Amino acid sequence: MKGMIDDETLDRQLREAVPYIDDDGFTARVMAGLPAAPREPRWLRAMVLFGLALLGCGVAYLLSGGGRIVREGVIQMADFPIWLLLVFAFGCGLVVGAFAVIFAIRRTPEVRDLTRLEF
Amino acid sequence: MELTDADLIARVLADDDQHAFGELVRRHQSSVRGLLRQLTRTDIALADDLAQETFLRVYKNLGSFRGEAQFSTWLYRIAYNCFREDARKRKELVGVDEEQWQAEQDPHTVDPGLRHDLMHALSLLPLHERTAIVLCCQNGLSHDEAARVLEIPLGTVKTNVLRGREKLKRTLAAWAPN
Repeated sequence: MKGMIDDETLDRQLREAVPYIDDDGFTARVMAGLPAAPREPRWLRAMVLFGLALLGCGVAYLLSGGGRIVREGVIQMADFPIWLLLVFAFGCGLVVGAFAVIFAIRRTPEVRDLTRLEF
Repeated sequence: MELTDADLIARVLADDDQHAFGELVRRHQSSVRGLLRQLTRTDIALADDLAQETFLRVYKNLGSFRGEAQFSTWLYRIAYNCFREDARKRKELVGVDEEQWQAEQDPHTVDPGLRHDLMHALSLLPLHERTAIVLCCQNGLSHDEAARVLEIPLGTVKTNVLRGREKLKRTLAAWAPN
């Protein structure tokens, strides 16, 4: 009389009897079936931001006495030496650039991975 | 650097990153589809439909995954629930596409005759024993994880695995070494 297959052999045969199933477009079908994220259109977001910025500018203009502060500021800046204006412009550029880099890292997963690398 | 399942899940939740979810699907599609093919007695079309439904549910409910168990355990549980709901609707599972099933097997690893007998023997097991065998012996889940997937007591899983194994061994006795 023959013996029985042992547990280990049976488990191995069971695992090997089910090979890896190729994707064959399965993932693409799943992704196509995902519900779209409920999000307002981009143009609407842009318009809202633009409108708020315009409103903010208008309020600031009125509060500054019809642009008196701006006018005086420009007159004062005209008296500054040219090197100071260049330093000021450079500093503004650095601040804006830093914000742009931070925003780009937050929005781009691939860049975010690079920041996690340890050497 | 390969991202872990937890990293990918975090991205889906934080940024609604569908690429990250696609990577999760690619990683787990084979095991989920394999499990469902076994449960549906190799009805490939039905199994793939259920696998697709499984991943859609995963996407919708990812926020409720607390990370206490492995992601694959949670995934199998959803897949098993999809299968159970469908089986309840159908009452009887039908349709064994034997030819397609055979074509997908790798001819180099297991003796084709043994594979055929093994898969046939597996398909003849009662559903509760077949499911326990597929989860624990084929997909490598612990008895505890399988109990969580199937929402049954640990002792019942152990009993089902033991009984299923014994039946398979009896059916495959002819393949045992002399």
